[in-house]
Amino acid sequence: MQTLGRQRRKPPQDSSHLYPRGTKLYHVSRKGSGQNSRIQRPSSTVTVLKTMLVPVRYSVERWSYTLQRVTGVVVTLYFVLHVIETGNFIGGPTVWYVPPYDFAKAYYEHIKEFLHNPIFDVGLVVIGWMVAFHAINGLRLTLAHFGITLGRPSRVEPEAPPRSFSTLQRAIFWLSIALAVFAAVYSLNALMGVFAR
Amino acid sequence: MSERRLMLLHYVTGLGILITGAVHIWVVFFTVPLDQTIWETTMLFDNHPFAILSVYRNALLASTLWLLLVFTTFHAMNGIRVIIMELIPDERVMRAAKWLLIALGVFLVVYGTRTILIAHSIR
Amino acid sequence: MEGKVVFTVFRHDPSAGGKPRYVSYEVPYRRGMTVLDGLLYIKERIDHTLAIRYSCRMGICGSCGMKVNGLPRLACFTQVSELGRTIKVEPLPNHPLVRDLVTDFSTFFAKHRSVKPWLIRRDVEEQENPTGQYLQSDAELERYIQFSYCISCGLCYSACPVVTALPDFPGPQALAWLYRFYADTRDQGGKERLEIVDRASGIWRCHFAGSCSQVCPKGVDPALAIQLLRRALIRG
Repeated sequence: MQTLGRQRRKPPQDSSHLYPRGTKLYHVSRKGSGQNSRIQRPSSTVTVLKTMLVPVRYSVERWSYTLQRVTGVVVTLYFVLHVIETGNFIGGPTVWYVPPYDFAKAYYEHIKEFLHNPIFDVGLVVIGWMVAFHAINGLRLTLAHFGITLGRPSRVEPEAPPRSFSTLQRAIFWLSIALAVFAAVYSLNALMGVFAR
Repeated sequence: MSERRLMLLHYVTGLGILITGAVHIWVVFFTVPLDQTIWETTMLFDNHPFAILSVYRNALLASTLWLLLVFTTFHAMNGIRVIIMELIPDERVMRAAKWLLIALGVFLVVYGTRTILIAHSIR
Repeated sequence: MEGKVVFTVFRHDPSAGGKPRYVSYEVPYRRGMTVLDGLLYIKERIDHTLAIRYSCRMGICGSCGMKVNGLPRLACFTQVSELGRTIKVEPLPNHPLVRDLVTDFSTFFAKHRSVKPWLIRRDVEEQENPTGQYLQSDAELERYIQFSYCISCGLCYSACPVVTALPDFPGPQALAWLYRFYADTRDQGGKERLEIVDRASGIWRCHFAGSCSQVCPKGVDPALAIQLLRRALIRG
């Protein structure tokens, strides 16, 4: 068989000769991401939410990211309601000057009646947990973003955990959970007198 | 405002909230005797030295509370902006969200300032 | 462990249409078997239409990244014995799908190139016609060497929640490479490098979820690189 010089047999254009007749093959485009199906598009909002909120199998740092986001959103919602609520203590949105004493006191008692509700108290305890967690964890993240409390780069030991998951970082994370629980328990007592009585 | 400045402010306001928020929590919660609840002490109109409304007659405490208001408004609005950016990375949505959040922030600061001023002036 | 192991493999050909499906294959267990060994057994003996990408089979080329039992891993680097009897294999998330377990890396490589992963010297003449070596002390080497172990396998890119949300985010691999050169004393890129990622969808969107460092098979710890890079950016 002559295979020298220009008489070389041309290689097959695809590998279909290796497979049983009729097997459908995907032809790889040589233009890289020229094919429209292979451009990276933004994931659907559902996928993004699932990735953000359900980090199964991932480390504590990833759960902290989820919790920080969730607590941030909930506390923001509470903050808006709180500004409106405290505005109501003074006499509501129609009052823009110092109201007469009797009017202010009557309005205040009226609002207090509405708010003195065990459901709101429990809600405030949950919000208290979230604020405390978000604050201390935020402090930990601020330290990390400034490169403090993380390990230093060096030669890698095989099978060693990443330096950025340093003991101090993890300790502050668990401390934020613990302090948040303490805040929740304290506010439970302060609001509903659960332990004092 | 560049992203770098916005994020720096996010860190700074975060720390500011830690400090002014601690004062606010102390004023409201930690001045309650253990055998009473908030409803029996600080939430009275004027019967207790730490009743909410009389406490904010103090100018220093009122200013700290106002700083807390401003810091929290910025930190919260910027945080929501980031979350919206990640959930819906669309240019027009981002521009609309930016203006909505600025408007909400302005409303919160104005309404909150009014509350603090009136509480500071009630006698 | 003895007997058979069940591989549940994601099968889908976007160009042929139809819906993605999971097909189960029974593979006899051999001591020391990796997930890649199992997939090759399936391809050789059971279903030759299975598309997989692999090369070195020893954890250095970075070709065989896939999602195994919920986490992005290198198939050749993952022992079946550490996973149990049921193994679910899916393509890497955050990368567009080519077919079955093969994903497209064009965007990934484009982001890698965008951070200028080469030494930048101001005197290009001298760099082209060197007059000597660029000397570096041990301490200077240790500032970046762990980040140079990256094999561009794409596992960190798949694990990152920000990449899922923002297609414009450079990803942990690109950012770690950027820091690798920024921290290299031989490099004179400096501020020019930082400006590449100083934007709304750039480094500021990293939230230190740490998933990138968790899945990295080479111990590169991109999360550490990104926080150090961020410190450099904040300090100006």
